[in-house]
Amino acid sequence: MLSCRDFVNNADQLLDRDLRVSTRIAVRIHLLLCRHCRRYVKQLARLIKAIPFMHNKATEEEVRKVMDCIHSHENT
Amino acid sequence: MELEKLAQLKSGDPVLFAELVRDHHRALIALTVPIVGISEAEEVVQNAWLKAYQAISSFAGKSAIRTWLGSIAINEAKMQLRQRKRESLFSDHGDENQYTEDSLAQRFTERGHWQHPPAHWHTDSPESLLTGEQLAECLEKLLTAMPDNQRCILEMRDASGLPFDEICSELTVSSANARVLLHRARTQLFKLVDHYEETGEC
Repeated sequence: MLSCRDFVNNADQLLDRDLRVSTRIAVRIHLLLCRHCRRYVKQLARLIKAIPFMHNKATEEEVRKVMDCIHSHENT
Repeated sequence: MELEKLAQLKSGDPVLFAELVRDHHRALIALTVPIVGISEAEEVVQNAWLKAYQAISSFAGKSAIRTWLGSIAINEAKMQLRQRKRESLFSDHGDENQYTEDSLAQRFTERGHWQHPPAHWHTDSPESLLTGEQLAECLEKLLTAMPDNQRCILEMRDASGLPFDEICSELTVSSANARVLLHRARTQLFKLVDHYEETGEC
């Protein structure tokens, strides 16, 4: 029987659909029985979706620098 | 991105391209720093933007635009390393932190059951989960302190959405090691957000 710690260690691969069949079955059974792990994997999935948004937007100066360089190449 | 906007972008609209730069520039810098170092990342990303601008009409929209830009930036980083005859800074060896305890280890009993289960998170939208004012500052600290190899995999896989096998081959890292590094990075973020959602502080 898988422990919650084992479940957490396999949760990344569960979300990436990268588990061997036997492990996937054990993980799925654990998930049916454990509400804490259901919450963990649901929130982990939510976290992973949020990671692409974790970086701040570039400043106007940074954007201008990039665009100036592009325009100077266009004109050459 | 809506189709109409994408079509305008592909036709070379400079205003929309500047918007793209605004949204993704910092992520591309973060993606390349662990490979070429902080002093060269800006130049690499600048070259990547130039390539992206020249190739935008060929963007097929099959992957997310961040993933497409990420691949261009990684290629530019590799080219820079070749030109300077340097090795990638990425290494999956020699970092003791890599093998330190999992961030969530303290949350389990000896038998491996939850002692302190995850809190219920109130924030629902992906755009706002990691951008709360107070949280953003703690997140920045956490990312800065994170071992470079963990950060590198996190930026490639989760922030840019590059395929796992492509990451392993670009970095010449085994899939098992990359998995461990990604897991370590994600659990650190999970612990931070969980604490913040539970207490309002971090």
